[in-house]
Amino acid sequence: MDIKQEDRGTATVVSIVGSLDAMTSPQLTEFLNGQLAEGRANLIGDLAALEYTSSAGLRALLNATKEARQRGGDVRLAAVQPNVKKVFELSGFTSILKFYSDVPTAVASYKG
Amino acid sequence: MSDKLRITRAAQLETLAVFRDFIDAACQRRGIDSATCYDLKLAMDEACTNVITHGYAGMNPGSLILDLEFAPQQVVVTITDFGHPFEPYEPDAPDARAGLEDRDTGGFGLFFIYKTMDHVDYQTTEEGNRLILTKKLNWTVPA
Amino acid sequence: MFQRLRLRQQPLKVAPDPEELSVGQLIGDYALPISIRGINGLPADAKRRIYRALIPASLLTRANINPITWNGLDGNPQVILAAEVDKGVVNLAIKDAPDASDVFFNVELADNAFNGIDLNLLLLNDPASPRFRTDYDDEGKPTYFGTVRRNLAEDERAMRAGLAPGQIRAGLSASQLFFQQLDTFLSFLSHHAVTLEPLTYASAWVFERRGFAYMRGHKLMDDIQREFQPGGKLHAALDGSTPFRQPDQWRTVRGRAWAIQDGILSALDTRWNDVRMVKQVGRHAGVNTFPDAIY
Repeated sequence: MDIKQEDRGTATVVSIVGSLDAMTSPQLTEFLNGQLAEGRANLIGDLAALEYTSSAGLRALLNATKEARQRGGDVRLAAVQPNVKKVFELSGFTSILKFYSDVPTAVASYKG
Repeated sequence: MSDKLRITRAAQLETLAVFRDFIDAACQRRGIDSATCYDLKLAMDEACTNVITHGYAGMNPGSLILDLEFAPQQVVVTITDFGHPFEPYEPDAPDARAGLEDRDTGGFGLFFIYKTMDHVDYQTTEEGNRLILTKKLNWTVPA
Repeated sequence: MFQRLRLRQQPLKVAPDPEELSVGQLIGDYALPISIRGINGLPADAKRRIYRALIPASLLTRANINPITWNGLDGNPQVILAAEVDKGVVNLAIKDAPDASDVFFNVELADNAFNGIDLNLLLLNDPASPRFRTDYDDEGKPTYFGTVRRNLAEDERAMRAGLAPGQIRAGLSASQLFFQQLDTFLSFLSHHAVTLEPLTYASAWVFERRGFAYMRGHKLMDDIQREFQPGGKLHAALDGSTPFRQPDQWRTVRGRAWAIQDGILSALDTRWNDVRMVKQVGRHAGVNTFPDAIY
């Protein structure tokens, strides 16, 4: 799993590449907590290259979303692959999280 | 004879990716669709994560054995370990009405296994703890 | 991950009270496991009939021992069966001559606390190969396969002669034959598995090849493999400080086993301890913690 980060105006795009499982998700949690601690609360998870997640990755994203919302921000998810999307659907969290078809749309959602 | 594959590795988190790749390769060779393959990987991953983090807690981890058995109408995934036995039982569905703040973000592992598999069986015997996951296929594997 | 788990209780089908083993049980539910203690309670002839199935017949005929009577050419017994009433242990030993002081085959099976069977001991020695006194120290005290104390001078000679730690003679290549026999014997008793604690790294490696998986210590074996590679902690600890820690030893199973016997695992803050292996009857686990190994 690889994580890349890029600031886009008031939002921060975090691209997650590869697989999220119990082995790799602690790295994501650490990374997202670091972003929040630095004051980047408007986060976008670019999941275009996330091929797999288990409940461990789901939990990492949900906890970061909780934390971001408490700081007045959010974690918005962009370009989620169908198999990964199904994991969110199974969990019942699709109604609570915000999904966007691509990164620019997710960036735009933070404006205005 | 049926179409069986087996891989054995140490019960540590690094093994999860090895087993997922093993399932991927096996599914691809048999032309099994990506959604079914994902379900098999997810259920295996959740079950193995549990064995690795709980089943072998407090000892130098032993083996995890992954058996795949492909038949025209179903795939059977069997996970064998030799740690503390835990019987996984079907959990309640998550409460879809609760807000994020009120919801427990953990405990999805078992739920995902029951959601993605058609049958879940568990046995503890002198040859280890065995979780047997059956996934029906909605098509016929070409001969 | 699972948050709610329920502890599963003991195996579903257990051996009945062992003293009760009788013809009734033998003709009763064929799936009920029979314990060693149960067999040991049988009359001597019945006991012997059953335990005869534990020794590969060809191992006996190879040494000119009659596989039925267990006698040698001169009519003297060469197989020693120890299977005491009220004990859950059986020991079978074979001598290549009636007056031989050592045995070349020795196996011990025991009931364990989980209604299963432990392989306590398996010795397969080539009686024609040179004998090393690795089993007794300078003062004549037993070393218990080098686990309690060591005879360093003899260990070194044995190592140079190509033996593994714990051996007094070169091994007899018959472990595959024995484990095939053991599978049949265990299924006859309605057992599905056998467990053991490998004495050394080399024996664990052999048991992997014979189809065993690990109940404990698979990670340790992976750690050993990784750390013996160039750049690893065990590789670095092969510093020539003792005869058993020579730089090239990481390349072979025996070399690693001698270094581990010499305590090299302290470089990983651990030691060779609490490794447990299990073999499912009729199945090979396919474990290989030292790929492309040289023995």
